[in-house]
Amino acid sequence: MNQGRAGWLLVLPALLLLCALTVYPVAYGIWISFFNKHSFFPEQSFIGFANYLAVFADEEFWQALRLGLVYSASTIALQLVLGVGAALLLNEAFAGRALVRAVAIFPYVIPTVVAVIVWKWLLNSQFGLVNHLLGSPISWMGRDWIMVSLIVVSVWQFFPFVLLAVLARLQTIPQDLYDAAKVDGAGALRRFIDVTLPQLAGVLFVVVLLRSIWMFTKFDTPWLMIQGGGAETYIRTLPIYTYLRTFGYYEAGRGSAMAVLMFLMLVAAAALYFRLWRREEQL
Amino acid sequence: MRPILAMAALVAALVVPEAQAQKVIRVWHTETQPNSQQAMRNIAARFEAKNPGVKVELEALAWTDLEGKIMASLAAGTPPELSHGQPITCTALQSKGLLLPLDDVVKALGEDNIFDQIKRVCRVEGKQYGLVHAAGTSLLIYRKDLVRKLGLKPPKTWADLVANAKALARPGMYGITIPGDNLFINILLGELIASNGGMLFDKSNRPQVTSKQMVETLEFLKELTRYAPPGWEGHGYRETFTNLYGQKAAMMFQGYGRGASLIEANAPKDMANADFFDVWVKPHGPSGKAPVAQVDEEPWMLFKGARNTREAIEFLKFFYQKDNYLEYIQTVPIHFFPITKSMRGDRDYQSTPMIQRWKGWLDAQEHYLSRDLGRPTLVVDWADMNNKPYLMEVLGSGILRDMVMDVLLENKAPKEATGRAQRRLEDLLKSKGYLK
Repeated sequence: MNQGRAGWLLVLPALLLLCALTVYPVAYGIWISFFNKHSFFPEQSFIGFANYLAVFADEEFWQALRLGLVYSASTIALQLVLGVGAALLLNEAFAGRALVRAVAIFPYVIPTVVAVIVWKWLLNSQFGLVNHLLGSPISWMGRDWIMVSLIVVSVWQFFPFVLLAVLARLQTIPQDLYDAAKVDGAGALRRFIDVTLPQLAGVLFVVVLLRSIWMFTKFDTPWLMIQGGGAETYIRTLPIYTYLRTFGYYEAGRGSAMAVLMFLMLVAAAALYFRLWRREEQL
Repeated sequence: MRPILAMAALVAALVVPEAQAQKVIRVWHTETQPNSQQAMRNIAARFEAKNPGVKVELEALAWTDLEGKIMASLAAGTPPELSHGQPITCTALQSKGLLLPLDDVVKALGEDNIFDQIKRVCRVEGKQYGLVHAAGTSLLIYRKDLVRKLGLKPPKTWADLVANAKALARPGMYGITIPGDNLFINILLGELIASNGGMLFDKSNRPQVTSKQMVETLEFLKELTRYAPPGWEGHGYRETFTNLYGQKAAMMFQGYGRGASLIEANAPKDMANADFFDVWVKPHGPSGKAPVAQVDEEPWMLFKGARNTREAIEFLKFFYQKDNYLEYIQTVPIHFFPITKSMRGDRDYQSTPMIQRWKGWLDAQEHYLSRDLGRPTLVVDWADMNNKPYLMEVLGSGILRDMVMDVLLENKAPKEATGRAQRRLEDLLKSKGYLK
């Protein structure tokens, strides 16, 4: 057996697994987006691009896209601010730092379902602790506040990811750089802007990219927020609406078309992001 | 080698024949309360003891998981033998030829022994494709002590109800509480439109949400929710009940008998009884003549693609036998209204302590059921049950809920909101081929 063939044979199992677990489901999803297909009954008919045209004409889709962008943009910005801030604090030496570091990542390691249930009780409009402390009956799960509640819960849950990534990078920045900046008369803010931030650029590039993808496609947190109550209409982001189309309307074809569009949006956004911000030397 | 082969043969001889002989009945049900699950396990154990070689595999599922799981199992070609489901799901599945009739079970129970209302659920061309396990109507629950104090009368019309809500509202106490999630808004709307002499779809499947009756319904809801806690739209069923027994609201429009247990467990001890929490028959709308209440009545469904359908029928017959059925019903006695007249009149059933304590709540449910004033979710006219197999999609789409929220929260004129809902419903039905 020649070397090339042996090589192919060795990678074949991995290739087969990749095809079965990734390529086939994605290809099938794209394929059924061209059908009027019931989600469960064996009923389908080819309709070409009709699902895509229907999606573009659907006002609910654009509303869901708008809500999804509000949700992802605000949660990413807040996670960055909170994550970087917390990482800077936890990079300093103080008594009990190890314990605080462990506690800080706690929200990220508890299951989403637990986090959301706990938060929903805290935010309960009639009996919740938050309203009790505020002394005013704010309807956190109602029309006006549910998006804010969702953002708060999501930021609380996911900022430790930013914290971890940034803290790891902070610990590798050579002390010499700070010493040299001090000699040049740079204050704390100047050192942060001219030393720390450039050093963090590479890791922040990756963190923003990953968190953008994850928040834009985030399903479980908003979904759990509206289970057993919660003004669903006001946090009906694109993943929620796609689910609703697929398992509420039982329109698998239309749901797939929306999923494909979501994927294309992410690819386009990622390409643009790379074009605008990528600096090889920083990665 | 030889000892290994001998061992394998021995294992095969011991295990395989038994496995082959055992017939499995898979049963999915929605009663997740621990005592109901225990009753189901007890019934299954007794059935297995009487039927060697048959095993009953029970699975209690949350409501939100059920429909998806049924559909997925059908798509995979591995449905369970028996499952609970919504009446409109039963109709949808029957229309696709996926269910088998349960007429043998009906015969065993005695056809005349079953309440007529129950027999109308998922009955097609004289065949019973779904048989309700127990029925429980929605209830208008109110604080009897407060009503007595104010000298209020039972509301006959929607206007009376709004007046009562207004009278009962005071600082720290809202007049009424209703859940805002999709399922309950759909239940509510189906109930109200029927109570106002309207319909959701006509005979040709054309949506009727722009009708005068619907506009009146939306205006009524807008008026009524003025006395509901702010943010009611974010309250689920349990939160709504918490508002009631937690003394934040004086009335609850979409209560159920199951809530009597919640009151007994959670209300202040001296108030946890029917002297403080009683029920009224619901009022009707300005264009209607009689109130209609939604009936929570999931039928058992027998799946055509399942393996052991004959055994499943025998299990259902066994389930409805007096002692078994009584044990099951007594786990949630105020919500599990029995489907048979014999059980309703049975002395053992009547002497259930909780039934004695909350008798008025059961009487109200009997009022709806015996007068044909109870309907499954979104079924306005009984003909809808079989002629409109798309109600499952209408419920799932959330279009009706959006319409209600457009008026109540977005302050859109009913005409604008109903016009939008009409367009969306027409699009939905056209895409499914039900409307041309």
